[in-house]
Amino acid sequence: MIKVEDLTRRYGSYAAVDSVSFEVQPGTVAGFLGPNGAGKSTCMRMICGLTPPTSGTATVLGKTYAALPNPGRHVGVLLDAAAQHNGRTGREILTLGAIMMGLDRRRVDEMLELVGLNKEESKRRLRDYSLGMRQRLGIAHSLLGDPKVLILDEPANGLDPAGIRWMRGLLRGFADEGGTVLLSSHLLHEVEVVADELIVIGRGKIVAEGPKSALLSAAGTTVRTTDDQRLANALESAGFQASPATGGGIHTDAVPEQVGRIALEQQVVLTELRQAGTAGLEEMFLQLTAADAREGVAA
Amino acid sequence: MTTGQLMADERMPSRIADETISGVPFARLVKLELRKLVDTRAGRVLLAVVVALLIGVSLIPMFAGSPAEDKSFNDFVQIGSIVLQLLLPIIGILAVTSEWSQRTGLVTFTLEPRRTRVALSKWAASALMGLIGVVAGFVVAAVFTLLTDIIRGSDPSWSISWEVVVGIFVGQLLYISIGVAFGMLIQNTPGAIVAYLLIPSLWSMLGSFSWMANIAEWADTNKTMAPLLDASMQGSDWAKLGVSLVIWLVVPMVAGIWRMTHSEVKSG
Repeated sequence: MIKVEDLTRRYGSYAAVDSVSFEVQPGTVAGFLGPNGAGKSTCMRMICGLTPPTSGTATVLGKTYAALPNPGRHVGVLLDAAAQHNGRTGREILTLGAIMMGLDRRRVDEMLELVGLNKEESKRRLRDYSLGMRQRLGIAHSLLGDPKVLILDEPANGLDPAGIRWMRGLLRGFADEGGTVLLSSHLLHEVEVVADELIVIGRGKIVAEGPKSALLSAAGTTVRTTDDQRLANALESAGFQASPATGGGIHTDAVPEQVGRIALEQQVVLTELRQAGTAGLEEMFLQLTAADAREGVAA
Repeated sequence: MTTGQLMADERMPSRIADETISGVPFARLVKLELRKLVDTRAGRVLLAVVVALLIGVSLIPMFAGSPAEDKSFNDFVQIGSIVLQLLLPIIGILAVTSEWSQRTGLVTFTLEPRRTRVALSKWAASALMGLIGVVAGFVVAAVFTLLTDIIRGSDPSWSISWEVVVGIFVGQLLYISIGVAFGMLIQNTPGAIVAYLLIPSLWSMLGSFSWMANIAEWADTNKTMAPLLDASMQGSDWAKLGVSLVIWLVVPMVAGIWRMTHSEVKSG
């Protein structure tokens, strides 16, 4: 499991990560969501002992990362698939990892096969790899030591739709066998299918956290009408939030019945009315992080 | 996507027997660092350049001057030693700086978070590579001494004092160590190489001013190491060597390891 308590990292007066706390239990996939620059990578580097925290603690499997003996055998880490020597072949990169962890070389072949890099591709130098191939190699590297915890920073970046689907299956299977997964992304739809828990971060602070189902049911309502502006004003004067939804219509935190009643009072014609679900989560994600960004500017 | 492919996609990695997992042994780190010195084209080219230059500079005394002039085994060893002194430290520098220039530090330091051990293993691996380089230098010198005898009838002296042999081994190891220290301190390939190659020459230039000559005697490694390499150490030479090594090896190495263990390792 992963446990983060009050983790803070300041660069001068700027707090890249500000009192972040969360836990990821064995058997779960946690999606770590936030826009670019929200502090996801800094937080993950602190968990892995690469960035010293200004204050707070992070433990993996009950120990600080630096206290894990042969950490590659406990934690699979992929922070940047491009951070490998461009002149090494894919096979050589995995072989170096296998030597470090004291593994049988056959493990290298198994991992190459698992992520779908064939013999010819494994002998190419990294500079000739596409972004998707680098990600696959990075995932293979993170799985080399048969870890119990996976920490992956934007692993879906550069994967094609089939690759993303494959990765989801892999992570689901890993968690179902009792593994712990922390997976970051700046795109909600990349993680919403596979994640059990969501941790949303904006401007270094956690803005929402909890089981995906709870966050989804709190996601509000999407409505389309012949006069969106009028309904939006009415919703706001009734004390609800209303904002333009992506793809048209309005998104609000009122439940569908409340929206229907207000529309009836205002004599606005509804063309669509439904619970927002995942689209609403996306909306909430944007709102939470945008609201946080405004706070940041005001401060 | 076919059903067969789906099945294959859902495969999980096999489990590794869950024996007690112990820390990474130091010897394994050294083995890994040695491998990293030769597993890229850049690394292999550098080693090939060392050998090529050893051969190249040996051609000069082979054909220059009269057949009996400067053609002993010792002469060839000394000229080869100059090449090693310039190039071996670059191997040490690259062993360290590539973790930053190629950003591999992100992986290296997650697999071994005790960074001092990584630093020491890089030092050890560079030193071992240096020993191989010095042995290669002796081999090339022997071959050229023999060839010169055959081609030009130089009738060379094969005698070499044990002090020279020890001096060259120790001296070259010190030069490599200085390279490693500069790499750790500067963390940037061109910067460390330029600093390593330029700073001693700068001293030599400064040393040409009379008021600097005294300081240069104590601080210029070119001057303080010379008696070690040709086995003419005497009197205050040891003290001068010690002082210059504190300045150029001990201080940068300690500061470099401190920097390596305390700096933030980032990808971008």
